[in-house]
Formats: sequence, C-alpha cells, structure tokens
Amino acid sequence: MKGDRKYILIFLFPMAAFMSIFLYYPFFKSLYLSFFRTKGFFDKKFIGWDNYERLISDNLLGASTLHTLELMLYVVVFQVGIALLLAVMVDNISKFQGFFRTVFFFPVVISGTAISLLFVLFYNYNFGLLNGILANLGLEKVLWLSESNALKAVAVPTVWHYVGFYFVLFLTAMAKIPGDYYEAAKLEGIKGFQKMTKLTIPLIMSDIKVVITLAITGTMKVFEFVWVVSRGQNGTEVLGTYMYKKALVDQNFGYGSTIAIYMVVLGVILALLANRLLKSEEITY
Amino acid sequence: MKKPSLVLISMLLIFTMFLAACGGNNAATNTPSETPKEETPKTEDPKPEEPKKDIELRVFSTFGGTDAARESFQAALDEFTAKNPNVKINNDTMSANDDGFRTKVNTDMNSGNEPDLLFYFAGIDAQGFVDAGKVVPMNDILDADAEWKNGFTPSALENTRQADGNIYAIPLTGFYEGLFVNKKLFEENNLELPTDWDKMKKAVETFAAKGIIPLAAPFDQSHYVVEHFILSAAGPEGQAKGLKDGIDPNWEKGYAAMKELYDLGAFPKDAATIDLGMASNYYGTGKAAMILEGSWAFGGFADAAVKDNTTVIPFPVVPGGLGSGKDIIGGFGTGFYLTKATYDNADKKDASIALLKHMTSPATIQKIAVANGGTPAAKVEITGLAQAAMDGFKMAADSTSINNPVDSKIAPETFSTLRAAVQQVVTGKKSPADALKEAKAIEDANKK
Repeated sequence: MKGDRKYILIFLFPMAAFMSIFLYYPFFKSLYLSFFRTKGFFDKKFIGWDNYERLISDNLLGASTLHTLELMLYVVVFQVGIALLLAVMVDNISKFQGFFRTVFFFPVVISGTAISLLFVLFYNYNFGLLNGILANLGLEKVLWLSESNALKAVAVPTVWHYVGFYFVLFLTAMAKIPGDYYEAAKLEGIKGFQKMTKLTIPLIMSDIKVVITLAITGTMKVFEFVWVVSRGQNGTEVLGTYMYKKALVDQNFGYGSTIAIYMVVLGVILALLANRLLKSEEITY
Repeated sequence: MKKPSLVLISMLLIFTMFLAACGGNNAATNTPSETPKEETPKTEDPKPEEPKKDIELRVFSTFGGTDAARESFQAALDEFTAKNPNVKINNDTMSANDDGFRTKVNTDMNSGNEPDLLFYFAGIDAQGFVDAGKVVPMNDILDADAEWKNGFTPSALENTRQADGNIYAIPLTGFYEGLFVNKKLFEENNLELPTDWDKMKKAVETFAAKGIIPLAAPFDQSHYVVEHFILSAAGPEGQAKGLKDGIDPNWEKGYAAMKELYDLGAFPKDAATIDLGMASNYYGTGKAAMILEGSWAFGGFADAAVKDNTTVIPFPVVPGGLGSGKDIIGGFGTGFYLTKATYDNADKKDASIALLKHMTSPATIQKIAVANGGTPAAKVEITGLAQAAMDGFKMAADSTSINNPVDSKIAPETFSTLRAAVQQVVTGKKSPADALKEAKAIEDANKK
C-alpha cells in the first residue's frame, strides 16, 4: 500500500489539475475581478469594496435571491417529492421496471434549452399549445407568463427536467435495501403505505439528504429555463440570469464576478444548512 | 494519509497561483503579449524562398445561421480561394441574434486568439480592442490603393471612423431602422399610415379593438423601441448627447409616449416575456400591424404576403418631441478589421489584405447588399430588391438626418437600464423621470 501512494498521486494529479484550471482558477479570478470596475474586456480599475457595497443595496439582486429561493422550494418539494413517489411505485412493481426507468430518466438527457423552447411554445399567449386547447374548448386565453404566474410556469420545466435523475438515484438506493427487511416487515404485517413511511424512506434517508443537497445547489445554477422561457422578466429573474446580464450583456465583469462570489457563498450556506437540518445517523446494512 | 493530501493540495495551490499570475499579468498590462507568436509557430517559420505558401486565414463574421447574406458571403470567399488556391479560408460565423457573438469576439481579441479578418461593429463596441492596439488602422492601406478607396461612398467610410480619428473598419453594407408597417392591414381597417402621432394613436386604438397586435415590441429586448422613442423625443442632437452631461429633459417625453401607447393597447399582451424573434414572428405572420426593426429584418418575416405588403416609414414624432419626423436611425455600423497579429505576420499580411480588398470590392458589396437589403458602402446600383426594401432605401434617402442608435452613445449597462425601464414605465411602476435618473446613475458609475 505504501509504495502505491506515489502512483495514486500521479494518477490523481491530472484530474486535480483539470479542476484547478476550470474551477478553482476561474473562482479566484472572479474574486480578483470583484474588486474592479470593468469596462468591456480591455479596461479595468481597482475600486476596492465598491462592488460589494452595491451588492448590499441592490434591490434587483434581492429580488433575484428571493426568486431563486422560491424556485428552490418548488424544486425541493416537487422534484424530490415526485422522484421519491415514482421511485417507491416503480420499486414495488416487478414488470416493466426497466421501461419506466428509461421513460422517467429520458428528460435528463435532453438539453435544458431544448426543453425550454418546447415550453415557450406551450406557454405562448398567441399561438401556444395551452391557449390553443383553451380556445378550442371555447375558453378565454390565459396569459401564462403573467407577473403572478411566470415563476411557477418556469418552475414546471425546471422540476420536470431533473425528476428522472433523482428518481434513478432513489431507485438504486432502494435496490440496496436487503430483501430480508421486507420479509420481516411482511411477517409483522406491515405493508403498503406504512412500508414506505416506516421502512423504505428511513432506510434511504442518507440518499434523500444527498439528493436535497444536490437539488439546492442545482437550483443555484438554473439559467436556461428562465433565460429562454421568460428572459428573466415578470418576476422570474434568478441569480444565474442576473449575473449573466450584468457580466456579459452589460459587460460589467467586475460586478458580475461579485454576484458570482455571492452565489457561491449563498450556495455553501444553504447546503450546510440543509445538511445540518437533515442530520441523521448513517445506516449500514 | 495526511501527508500525501497535503502534498497534493500544495501542488494544486502552486499550480493555481501560477495560472492566476499569468492571467493577472496579461490583463494588467494590456499590451499584445507574445502569446500569438507562440500559438502559431508553424506560420512563423520564415521561408522567404517559397512565394506561394499554403496559408489558412480565419474570417470571423455574423454572416451565418439565418443571415440573409450568408450564401453571398460564402460565395465571395469561394471566389477568392478559387483565384488563390494556396489560401484556405476558415469561415467562422456566429448568429447576430443574441449578444453571444460580442462575447466571443472580445474574448478572442483579448486572449491572443484573434481571427485574421474580423467583421464587427465600429464605434463604442470596438473601442476596447482598438485602444488595446489589436487591430490595424487602415488609413495608409486605403491611401495606397486609390482604386479600392474610391470605390466606397465617402460617407460610408467616414461613418466607421473611430474616436481617435483613424479608420479601422472597412464597411460592407449599412443599415437603417424604421417602423415597418403592414399596408394591407391598414387598408383593410381604413386607416392611414402612422405618419404623425394622431394617426398612430388612431391606428393603435383600432387594431387593439380588433384583436390585432398594433406594435409587436418586446419589453426586454426593446432596443429599437428605446432608440426610436428617444430619437423622436429628443431629436438628433438631443439623443447624440447621450447621458454624459446630465439628462436631456426631452428624453422623458419618449418614455411618456411609450406609456401613452401602452395604455391604448399598443404592445402585445405577452410583451414582457417574448424576445425579438417572437415579435418578428407576430409581425411576419400577420398577427401584428407594425414593428420597429432594421433593414436586416426582411429575411425573417415568415409570410411572403406580409413581406410584399410591408413598407418602411420613419417613426412619428412623439408629443412635444424635437424630432422632425424624418430622422432615422442607421449608418455603417460594421466593417472588416485587419488584426495586428495578422498584419505583423509576414506570411499572412499580403494574402489577408488581398482578401480584405476582395471582400470589400464594389462587386462583392453589391452582391451582399442585394442579399441583405442593406445600404451598399460602394457606389453601386442595387436592383431587383423587393418593393419594401426599395421603400426602405427611399426612406433613408429622404431622411433629414441619419443617426447612429442611442446605444452607441452610452455604456452598455446604461442601455440595459433604459431597456429594463420600459416595462416599469409603461405599467406605471416608475415615472419616466425616475427611470432616466436611474440610467444616469449607472452611466456615471461607468465613468469611474
């Protein structure tokens, strides 16, 4: 074992180098840029904490944070909830398991932008699918992306896109539960709904924890759904789109970087918080 | 276990710092570093004996995707390679529909990955790489070839002159923006074309009552809305001042006029969340009667009947506005740049200049102008265009002033603020005065 360490290190280094180039270097560069006022790509000036002062007093950023948190709530409740429900149901059937696994996992492989474009055509006021159905039924057209509704409308494709991913994670976790637990439960007379709440879910709690953490950090990165479906208008601006607008549309890379740093800090805090709240002992079979 | 991980972390840290140091240097000095040289060692090898050396030139432009002139542009490049078999051209394009290509151009220019010829905006968009010395001033090259220089309309060349007095971008075709109206819809509803504000209001009211979208305009990508309302409200001088020395009170009138039209039902119901493509779709399929667009828009209208019934007129003067009603937005906002790295490369220099001259020859300009309906930068006659495009040229010819759009006068972030204010103002959440104050604050912060 001792002599192997050298080789382990050698083999770890390329990946570590890769990560530093594409993850840590950009992060530190963002930190560096967040202290500058930039004008386009070629001109920048050190301004100390000014960007951070703006961060604190920026109403739009506050609104984006709230929208992101609201989206996060939908994602945690529905994405994880639906995935769990589907996994429990599929776990309980013996036929067609493979079929359902494929069907539910499929949206994950489609690009988010393609799904968003699909939903643009669903929601469009003038010739969208939903309003087309309503019109055929003789009902009044609905403005699906109105100010009160737009964020929920954006949440639908966001949730749907990744349900399959968590579904597969849950299903794998459930497959790991030894069969004798269920046999014992059967002898005790526990079945159906009780089996799920008393046995399956407690046994995969650590996986649920991981999934919730993934869902929370994943929501911090939501960009394409908002950008394509609503362009961040009507109360749907999230941190991802706001950062993009500031950095790349407005070419204010300094402030954009500051927002990026804020997102990292917020993401870490939320993930830690979720971990703390969901603390549970590890179960080994 | 502790020690190896410590070693790994310290290796990483050193590596990261090394990288960060590289990046920092590059950005801080802003001088063209040695990077391009290192990256193209093959072409650097001096082999003066071989006169016709195989070279590859990368031409970056927005003549790709759905661009109307994509094929003509490719054909012009092919013509050149047919005459010069030793030159290989990499026709690198990106769609101009979104802002993504700006990022690409700026990143390329900033990271030693310059294309040989670059087709891009002149003016404030180019200021960064012009100041950094990434492109070559063309004055001497133009003067050295009188035949080539005299092929251009003088005003076209003048229009791409940078603030430092040099010409860097060689124009191809120009553009105009205006109010595109569907004549058929106006006739069917017994309306006069909106040449003044009262006719505009009447048209908006009538169309809104009939369930036709009067003006297909998005709130978020409201570039053309903001440009036209401000020009019409403040007049050519008022808009050209930008926001540098305070707010011109006439700008407020533009925003007030937007609200007036919105209250009459001018904008699509989903104006907040559609993009320009969708707005153009509404107009192009006959669902909307008017749209503010540019000369490049013809290609995007889906329905041929709409295209045939379209005419272009200047945007009418808003109440109290200083515009003459014949001021339009337009110019020669784009052109070919020759990058410094290519100019200094002995192998590529002559071929790239020859290519540049070929691409901006009157013959090529004519072909591109016919394809995209833009105003040609050379003295050539354009025939065979659709009536609507001819109307557009006529509008440009009859105009009292042709103005660069207001976003070339202010910082990008300021323009974003002005665009974001459109929805706020028309829905009454913000007063025009407050919206402009906010934009002014952003403009000031940008000057720091």
